[in-house]
Amino acid sequence: MPYQSVFKDESKLDINYIPQKLPHRDKEHRLLTEFFSFILNCPDRMSQRVIVTGEVGTGKTALTQRFGATLTSEANKRGTKFRYVHVNCREYRGSLAPILHRALAVFEPSFPARGYSADELLNFLLKALDTENTYMILSLDEFDSLVEKEGSDAVYKLTRLQEMRQGLPQRLSFIFIMRNLKAVEHLDESAKSTLQRSIINLERYGKGQLIDILNDRVAMSFELGAVSEDVIDLVADLAYSQTGNARFGIEMLWRAGKYADSKNSDTVDPECVRQAVSAIIPGLRRSELASLGLHEKLFLLAIARFFKESNEAYASLSEVENAYAVICEEYDIHPNSHTQIWSYAQYLSSLGVLKAEVVAAESRGRQTKLSLPTVPAVELEKEMTATLQSERA
Amino acid sequence: MELEDVFSSKPRMKILKLIYTLGSLNVSDVARRVKMNYASTAGHLKVLENEGILQERKYGRIRMYRLNEGTAKAKAVATLIEVWEKTNP
Repeated sequence: MPYQSVFKDESKLDINYIPQKLPHRDKEHRLLTEFFSFILNCPDRMSQRVIVTGEVGTGKTALTQRFGATLTSEANKRGTKFRYVHVNCREYRGSLAPILHRALAVFEPSFPARGYSADELLNFLLKALDTENTYMILSLDEFDSLVEKEGSDAVYKLTRLQEMRQGLPQRLSFIFIMRNLKAVEHLDESAKSTLQRSIINLERYGKGQLIDILNDRVAMSFELGAVSEDVIDLVADLAYSQTGNARFGIEMLWRAGKYADSKNSDTVDPECVRQAVSAIIPGLRRSELASLGLHEKLFLLAIARFFKESNEAYASLSEVENAYAVICEEYDIHPNSHTQIWSYAQYLSSLGVLKAEVVAAESRGRQTKLSLPTVPAVELEKEMTATLQSERA
Repeated sequence: MELEDVFSSKPRMKILKLIYTLGSLNVSDVARRVKMNYASTAGHLKVLENEGILQERKYGRIRMYRLNEGTAKAKAVATLIEVWEKTNP
């Protein structure tokens, strides 16, 4: 059988891929452009320091790198020599010297890696910028780790360096990227005051925004029709529950695609997503399942069977209730009432085994929508069947 | 210096190929890679610099050498090495 894949270009789901356009970050991109507009107009007259904050997966790295690429091409068009350098401080364990060495390597790729202090390397970097008549934005990602390791001195050094270069062109600007401003609070007042001027905070993505982001990536990376709206909705739900983490959602898409390929399927179904998530989030904790009551276990088995057989991403409570009635018959047990079943759904949702959400019904009123975001239905069915059989014995 | 004097030295040709490939290198690094002592290496680098083929950039106590992009000689050397490497892989 010829190899088929749901992907048309999986590299577009890679963590290092920076899309041309970042949905829902236009405002922040424009703000960055405003802060650094002097690079296009009068680069030697000023430098800038901007802090970008936001939770994991809110697009800090993607935003700054996209901005850096756009500004570089715009500056080159205008004949200004400009370099954007993005360094993750954590990769260098927060030490300033290797971070500056990395920036210097843009001009001197074989510069010796050892034997020079941060002060010396900073001077060398400025000298290289002067010699090349170039301007630079140095983006320090996970800046918290540098603050933790090096403290106020390093920050002060970086932010006040122009004062030591009176009369010379301003060459070096900074973007400091961190999750929140907590790390900066520990700095001494002088270092803090030079930092906290321009702050861009990236709010966590809402579910609708996550859907837009995932739709964009799906269009770029998957074959047409390989990922349904329901699957995107399910992944967006998961990403939203992980503090609106778009990166998590994109990684889940890639992983789910891999599970689909391994089954030689031409579509990514909800079970692929559940398998992908269970590999990362352990949704199935045996000790918790063992402590459930008999009807809760029967209810969970009903959900597992429903999703295993239906290939849907979501189920209504009444659909699962029907499946539960069949299971009760199989086990020769009288089924419990609708209200009790509703309370099982709420309890299991609070444990994180399933997700119960009250939504507006299509016709009128409201209904409970159930999903199994983190546990593969096949695995859950196996587990519940085994537990119920051991109880019977 | 005459053309044949500059290019008749095997170490100098090795140094030029190395710098063309790696962009810029300091004296010790060049010496280590061409397996020569520091003084001889520094001497060859100086010759190439005086001829306008290489350019020296000082960072404190370290001296980095690169092709002098502003001169026709350096451009000719770069073209020579590029063509040579392509046709003799």
